[in-house]
Amino acid sequence: MKLLRPQTDGIPPHPRQEPRVDGPLTVDTLRRVFADCVDFAVREADLAGDPEKRVTMCYIGGMVKLERASEYILRPLAQDSTLRDAPPEEAWRKMAGGALYNLMVEQRTTADQAALDIINGNLILFFPGAPAVLSFYMATEDKRGVSAPDNEPSSKGARDAFVENLRSNTSLVRRHLRAPELKIREKIVGRQSLTPVDILWLDNIADPDLVRRVEERVAAIDIDALLSTGNLEEYLVDAASTAFPLVLYTERPDRFCAGLAQGRVGILAEGLPLGYLCPGTAGEFIRAPQDKSNNWMIASVLTLLRCLCIFGTLLLPAVYIAMVNFHQEMIPTRLALSIIAAKRDVPFTTVFEVLLMLAAFEILQEAGLRLPPSIGQTVSIIGGLVVGTAAVEAKIVSPAVLIVVAAAGIAGYTMPSQEFAAALRLWRFLLAVLAGWAGLFGVVVGAAVLILRLARLESFGVAYLTPFSAGGQSGLDGALRLPLPWVKLRQAGLHTKNRRNQA
Amino acid sequence: MKRAFAAMLLAVLCLPLAGCGVQSALPEGRELENMALIRTLGVDEAEEGVMVTAASAQQSGGEQPALVYSHTAGTVSAACLAMQSRGSAYLFYGHVGELLSGEELAAAGLEEALGYVERDIEMRLDTKFYVVRGGKASDAIAALSASGESAAERLEAMAEDAGLMAASMPRTVGELLADTARCGATFAPALTLTGEEGDCDLAADGYALLKDSALIGFAEGGAALGVNLLLGRVEADVVECPTEGGTAALRVVGAQTKISPTFENGVLTGLTVQCAVDASVAQGPENLDLEHSPEKQKSLETALAQTERERIVAALTLLQTLDADCLDLCRRAGMSAPWRWAALQDQWGEAFSTLPMRVEVTASIRRGYDVK
Repeated sequence: MKLLRPQTDGIPPHPRQEPRVDGPLTVDTLRRVFADCVDFAVREADLAGDPEKRVTMCYIGGMVKLERASEYILRPLAQDSTLRDAPPEEAWRKMAGGALYNLMVEQRTTADQAALDIINGNLILFFPGAPAVLSFYMATEDKRGVSAPDNEPSSKGARDAFVENLRSNTSLVRRHLRAPELKIREKIVGRQSLTPVDILWLDNIADPDLVRRVEERVAAIDIDALLSTGNLEEYLVDAASTAFPLVLYTERPDRFCAGLAQGRVGILAEGLPLGYLCPGTAGEFIRAPQDKSNNWMIASVLTLLRCLCIFGTLLLPAVYIAMVNFHQEMIPTRLALSIIAAKRDVPFTTVFEVLLMLAAFEILQEAGLRLPPSIGQTVSIIGGLVVGTAAVEAKIVSPAVLIVVAAAGIAGYTMPSQEFAAALRLWRFLLAVLAGWAGLFGVVVGAAVLILRLARLESFGVAYLTPFSAGGQSGLDGALRLPLPWVKLRQAGLHTKNRRNQA
Repeated sequence: MKRAFAAMLLAVLCLPLAGCGVQSALPEGRELENMALIRTLGVDEAEEGVMVTAASAQQSGGEQPALVYSHTAGTVSAACLAMQSRGSAYLFYGHVGELLSGEELAAAGLEEALGYVERDIEMRLDTKFYVVRGGKASDAIAALSASGESAAERLEAMAEDAGLMAASMPRTVGELLADTARCGATFAPALTLTGEEGDCDLAADGYALLKDSALIGFAEGGAALGVNLLLGRVEADVVECPTEGGTAALRVVGAQTKISPTFENGVLTGLTVQCAVDASVAQGPENLDLEHSPEKQKSLETALAQTERERIVAALTLLQTLDADCLDLCRRAGMSAPWRWAALQDQWGEAFSTLPMRVEVTASIRRGYDVK
């Protein structure tokens, strides 16, 4: 248990240096800060050819769009004689007021602000005698175009997906949710990466307490760099205590916006082509995005099937072990005879055989995922068909075990959330071991512990088993997709300001 | 977390209070492939107690013959346990589908054999029970195994065909125990060994009638068919009735029987059995045209009703002669007159053997399949 606790002993303090850049706001200060940075550039220019009035521009090559800087900043500086002829204060006021053509301009008074702006793709303009510098936003827009989602394909619905650029993502959300109540608040995460993380919510729907909790969580993240999803997910929730995902992620803006409209709080981060929705509850992990596009009866049947598949993927190997090893009377006689006939020359015990196959299944899956899709598919086919068949023919495993493990694996693939499926796979191993130890007694104990664990879980103050266990809703609402005109209330567990979602 | 851990620890510490030792707290695991699934169990009377014969299913998916073990001991349990030492496989009795009893043991009493099924953790109450008429269960099992067919398969086939043959219906140990506990008597299908040695077969042979778990007689022929009619369990039976131009074969496809008591001044004075039989024409002479000859239909229905009545009367007479309500007629009569239930229960035991029975049978031929 000690291994699962955060290490606290012997850890030195980790104070932040505020401000990061000391010293007056001068070109020399910036040169010192960006010393040994080959991409840092300083450009001096005379105002309309007057060497007495020289301005200095600082920027980072590659971060600033040079054509725009040359056209809209340098050209007016070099050619606009009114700037040269005006007194310095007047010229400064004109440059800040529009003589230089840029929509986003800020005045900076500290070297810390200026340095951060330069990193974000701003061009800093020093004007002799001015009390501050002008910071023009001129970042390059090298980014991937919006494309169809890879992991959440949509057969009937929007085909856009989040990209790595945060502003593009917020704009995608804005296009889906045009309500002015959509609020976006930004936090900077990562001491070294300084990654902008945006928190989005609908102010007229979301629970303010939930918004506060999410903000506090994001603000409390003090890491070096936010570069991967794990950097964010594991800090958003107390993830160490469970394998089940506690925040929902999606790469589809329509699903993200539907979550916001339900009263959830969204999180988008620079560099991550997906959005998180808080809280993540069990009911959401068994729902596929296209469920709402399908006929309600079909979607309900599919959701019920997924619920059955949860039991299938969790319990099939364990129940097989329990039945074959401990409760042989449960097996229909003809099936028992078939299993005996098929297993007669297999040298391994049933428990070992099942665990071996479960492990082989995981290895095959992992191998398939790590390889390019075409090779991965080949590996899966070779592993599944060729090696599987050969193993059965060589009497290394019995066909019944192969069928049970394959059926459990396929049942797991019906989960729309791969994180949820992975957690189920982990528990599948545990239940199989318990079944090998004590038969159905062990399975029941394991299942009871699982239910207790899930019942104790909360995601941002909302019970994880919502809507199956939370008050105000029946479990049927979670397992069925009722006709949308009938669903007039948002989930009670989310404590939204306004529960009614339609007339 | 600490509280949950403490609760779990407390639960584990409380386990010994459940009366289970450490060894027996968890089930004992056995690999299925190391087992021989016993499908048929035969019990016979022996000098030392009982002789138990156990037959497994055919081994290796039917490639090898069924295993047959036999042992004599004081009790069925002891014999079954002793048989475990035979062979390498563990004999598993959880899949016993048929329990056979020899006639001698049945006559001496079946309490022990039925009690073993009731109490043993592996045996099932839905095990079908048969009495081997005029023979021993071990002979029947050995004969079938020698013929290359497993006893279980033959008996299962017979149970499936029982309705079609109208010869007997399968009964489970659970039903026998429930009947015996309720009214002290019951019935079970009887089998008889047919054919020469080496080419033996089992055939249904009516019903064994049991009272206080001991065999008191057999219902055979018409009486056995009467039992089916009284219970309303007729899936198919062919009755041949003479008619103009030949013989008509009528297939009886259903029967509904109502039994009601007659009381006079609070005294049970009789029992009325009303049976409605449904039949179809299975075969008949060329000129049999029921659609245009209602008289012919009426005549056939009357003949059929007469035949079925005789069968019912034969069954009832046998039961009265043996003074055993093997078909639980008392409860069925009580269900048709629940307000008389207390009186019926009080008087039934003494009155049953001499109770006047009025049997009314109506027959209807639903489908004539006339050739146009």
